[in-house]
Amino acid sequence: MSDVFDAVMLTLLIATAVSVARARDLLAAVVIFSLYSLTMTLVWQHRGAPDVAMTEAAVGAGVTTVLFFITIARTTRREKP
Amino acid sequence: MRPWSLLLVLLVALPLVVGVVNLPPHDAPDAPIHTGVGVRYLERGVEETGYKNLVTAVLLNYRGFDTFFEVVVIFTALVSVLALPRGSAAGPGGAQAPAGAEPNGAPGVPVSPVVSYVVRLMAPFMAMFALAMVYRGHVTPGGGFQAAAVFAAIFIAIGLVLGRARAARLVPVDWRPWLQGAAPLAFAAVAWVGWRLTGAFLGFPTDDHAAQEAMGLVLEFAIALGGGVILARLFLEMET
Repeated sequence: MSDVFDAVMLTLLIATAVSVARARDLLAAVVIFSLYSLTMTLVWQHRGAPDVAMTEAAVGAGVTTVLFFITIARTTRREKP
Repeated sequence: MRPWSLLLVLLVALPLVVGVVNLPPHDAPDAPIHTGVGVRYLERGVEETGYKNLVTAVLLNYRGFDTFFEVVVIFTALVSVLALPRGSAAGPGGAQAPAGAEPNGAPGVPVSPVVSYVVRLMAPFMAMFALAMVYRGHVTPGGGFQAAAVFAAIFIAIGLVLGRARAARLVPVDWRPWLQGAAPLAFAAVAWVGWRLTGAFLGFPTDDHAAQEAMGLVLEFAIALGGGVILARLFLEMET
């Protein structure tokens, strides 16, 4: 069961990482990136590191996402081809 | 260009994969992580520091010097952002909002009453949660840095939904420089106290758990408040 959870989470991590790199819409990229952080939170928690999990959720999924949103609002939403 | 990119990716990926494959199994008892200094932390940590959460023990006590300069790094980040010249228009779509405009989304669009109500309702509970994380940080997971992110989230939510003026009122102008520098200042103060008590810079008296706990609490509160104010200021600085 534990291995299955790990396998699913790691697959999700790779999938989200690739999607972030491929996304042309930067807003979508930021949302997917925050999903990456949330998945990472679950992995930390599952590995027995609740302190790191809390930090990942608060900083990785929360504050970083918001800062990226502002950056997009102040620059542009589309990546130059 | 493409074959070269592929080659570059392989050049980076190959050592990484070799490294990961050669890592010891996750719970191998003879892995270096389980034979090094960690053994001492696990065996003596609670008795030496009085913190039941060993993560806090390592962060504040055994590796206090690292944490000191971590908070200095965060403080420096804010100083660097504040030192940047404020441009009038930062590229396409980055024009300055007209003075007095609502900070939320498109100008002229009123905030949803549901969102505003939820933010008002949740803010005190978030503050309670952050305080609990600080206060219980030496027993349960959590601590200053996590609480700082929650405090910052409160500032940012209030600033976005109820307006920047409302958020700004939470932190009096006169206190701002002190709050922004709270974490490094508290570390310096605790380091001095530790030096007086033990003769070592940032030393913690091993035999006095009450003193250790008090020193830890001061540090945690300073990290939480200082970090929160710094994160929120970074956000508000970028937003305008």
